[in-house]
Amino acid sequence: MIKNKYLVVYRKFLHTSFASELEYKTNIIIDTITSILSLVGSIFLLSIFFQNTGSIGGWKFEQALIIQGIYTILNGITNTWFNPNLREIVTHVREGTLDFVLLKPIDSQFFISLNKINPSGFLEIILGVGLLFYCIKINQINVSLSFFILCLITIFCSICILYSLWFFISSTTIWFVKTWNATEVLRSFLYIGRFPITSFSFSLRIFFSIFIPIAFITTIPSEVFLGLNQLWKIILQIVISCVFLFTSRRFWLFALKFYSSASS
Amino acid sequence: MVKNIIEVRNLSKCFDISSKNPGLKGTLKHFFKRETKSLKVIKNINFEIKEGEIIGFLGANGAGKTTILKMLCGLIYPSEGSISVSGFLPYRRKDNFLKNITLIMGQKQQLIWDLPPIESFYLNASIYDIDRHEAKRRIKKLSDMLEIEEELFIPVRKLSLGQRMKSELLAALIHKPNILFLDEPTLGLDINAQRNLRKFLKLYNKETNATICLTSHYMKDITSLCKRVICVHNGSISYDGKLDKLVKKLSPVKEILIVCRSEKDANALDNAGYIVKSKIKNEITLKIENKYVSSSLRTILNSYDIDDLYINEPPIDEIIGKILIKKEYKL
Amino acid sequence: MHKLFTLLKVQYSNMLEYRVEIALWAISGIIPFFMLNIWTNNNLNESININNTMLSRYFLSAFFVRQFSVVWVVFSFEEDVLLGKLSPYIIQPLNPFFRYFTQHIAEQITRFPFAIIIAFIFFLLNPESIWIPNLIFLFLSIISTFLSFLIQFLIQSIIACLCFWTEKASSIERLLFIPTLFLSGLLAPVVSFPQYVKSWIYLTPFPYLIDFPANLLSGNKTNISGGFIMQILWILLLLPLFIKIWSEGTKKYTAMGS
Repeated sequence: MIKNKYLVVYRKFLHTSFASELEYKTNIIIDTITSILSLVGSIFLLSIFFQNTGSIGGWKFEQALIIQGIYTILNGITNTWFNPNLREIVTHVREGTLDFVLLKPIDSQFFISLNKINPSGFLEIILGVGLLFYCIKINQINVSLSFFILCLITIFCSICILYSLWFFISSTTIWFVKTWNATEVLRSFLYIGRFPITSFSFSLRIFFSIFIPIAFITTIPSEVFLGLNQLWKIILQIVISCVFLFTSRRFWLFALKFYSSASS
Repeated sequence: MVKNIIEVRNLSKCFDISSKNPGLKGTLKHFFKRETKSLKVIKNINFEIKEGEIIGFLGANGAGKTTILKMLCGLIYPSEGSISVSGFLPYRRKDNFLKNITLIMGQKQQLIWDLPPIESFYLNASIYDIDRHEAKRRIKKLSDMLEIEEELFIPVRKLSLGQRMKSELLAALIHKPNILFLDEPTLGLDINAQRNLRKFLKLYNKETNATICLTSHYMKDITSLCKRVICVHNGSISYDGKLDKLVKKLSPVKEILIVCRSEKDANALDNAGYIVKSKIKNEITLKIENKYVSSSLRTILNSYDIDDLYINEPPIDEIIGKILIKKEYKL
Repeated sequence: MHKLFTLLKVQYSNMLEYRVEIALWAISGIIPFFMLNIWTNNNLNESININNTMLSRYFLSAFFVRQFSVVWVVFSFEEDVLLGKLSPYIIQPLNPFFRYFTQHIAEQITRFPFAIIIAFIFFLLNPESIWIPNLIFLFLSIISTFLSFLIQFLIQSIIACLCFWTEKASSIERLLFIPTLFLSGLLAPVVSFPQYVKSWIYLTPFPYLIDFPANLLSGNKTNISGGFIMQILWILLLLPLFIKIWSEGTKKYTAMGS
């Protein structure tokens, strides 16, 4: 019954945000071009790196394209779900309409993180998936059911970690209101996810594995894709994503508690 | 005997205010060692509200009206004391409680900006577990009451403020709440829209017997809707009771305009020991305390040659307006 | 001039209120250092004849140039239009873009100490790349950074004026940001680009945004007079375009009466 209600509400969310986005049609076209250009640019940059060398951090060009593909999918998901909702939260807090959300008989985290979607990110997801299929071909990967399931699991975990990071920043809005710049910092760090983590120096590798687990977000799914899957890494990724999800939930509840004891 | 739907006992609320000295030094100091002061904005208040009542909260800006309202609907934790709203503790924000109440804030809107209001209504309906059929019926009924029709299908950003407010009301009432909290609902509306809104609230109260708590700066809202008012002053309740009693308390004098047949009589009245407000030729205005009005009039009528006489009640709006302007007042 | 100075003073104290945000923003500009890490860690720079030290100086300079040529006028402008703040500005006897211009300058002043701190950390980690630029080159690079800022400010102001015609001009800016990111030299020095790109890229404004000033500052080889000429040419091209589109836009804005 409860699940059913959330499904119904989510269908409504989809309906309303699609309808609102369609009010700005030229915007969708421009965003579409932006995402294509962005992928072309990254591959261009990658090709500069590979101009005179066969491998970077142990990854060949064809293999590095896989990371590019997974990054593009995740970036598409960010642009479709996380980014527009974060923008929503900022307006909610700034204009005081968060009160309306809190007074709805529905989970506030659900409402706030899924209220909006921006369909122009879909193209990036499609491009990323297309690039991955191309990579299957050029890397001669054997596709089997277990391969498929493992890929889905690791990508799903990556999405969870990404979501938690974004939602964490969203929650800080309650204290700082202006979090745009914090998201810019996160974005610039996430940029690293376009390249294999092994191509960085040791200290940066540590930083991006422990503090901001970008290594886990794109590199592990790519390794699974290449058939280099080590079970312990996958389990570690699952554990990390659970910890992140749990922490982001606790942090949101904590933020709400602060909001209701200090807001005026 | 109507039962109490809201009960507030010894309620207090403190906010931690951190103070900061200007300049870099102040900022650094603030960063390392925060000096926080606890500011008591609501001080030990008690009241109860009966089902079906319309209550107005009065007070100057910053007196604590909005804080009280937000505590009643569960957005702010109380620091001390207890609140019970239709048997629930508001700050737990249980679904069943939330389905019972609604909050409407003037100039803060929950409708989706780029879409017609009807979309927001159906979204709210699904959040409040109302099926499509029932939702349609309620939208029909409420839009009849609010007298809106084609506006439901026009994107919100193209609606006027008055039309938008009506749509906001509809969105907020679709789940048939039996307690309405309204914070400055008429803010920024023109006189006509204000009147329509009041008419609607009165009608809604009569038809559904819903309890309505509202704050407003427009006296007309209070005087035409509320029989009972609660005055909040510096975080405490300075008056809780009937509106007309408050008016009597606040304005103990009546103004009486006396038109004398001759200017001589008027001059004599001028020197008879009454408080004179103004005097133009043979017309004189006196201020007389309520309890002496009848006896004074009798003497005046007996001893002077009076042509005509008007008794002016001071306008209620003006009197209550004084509460809002003056921060200090005695009741 | 006096007007501008007063405006600048006000904006500076305003920006000081946002120092946390500006500090975060400065941090978000560290992508060049990540790129440097990839270049040197994989010895990619051997093929383009720039040694590690020179390359690290290049990327540090690129970071600096980027810090002081970041433009965000379109986002403020769009917000002001949406919230209706533009109307009072338009009736003032000063083009509102001067207001945004001084805002940017004030923000750069506020940003300066943070950029220095980041550079200091960078030198701590890479002590061999410390250098003191020749005074003339320092001066030239400051000028060219300012010109780069002007070019970007003009481009974005033109895009911002499109707000008068379409609701969300910032998406056009996001589109234009992609070539700026990849072609300006922020992620890889333009020398390293393949020949088929190098043949036309010097005609576009992109290499003059980051690559040219950064090369000047870091002491890498670059065509000095050619760079300045191109920067000035682009400004001369964009300025009349901006003035034209601004006057058309305000005409439309006032005609709509909203």
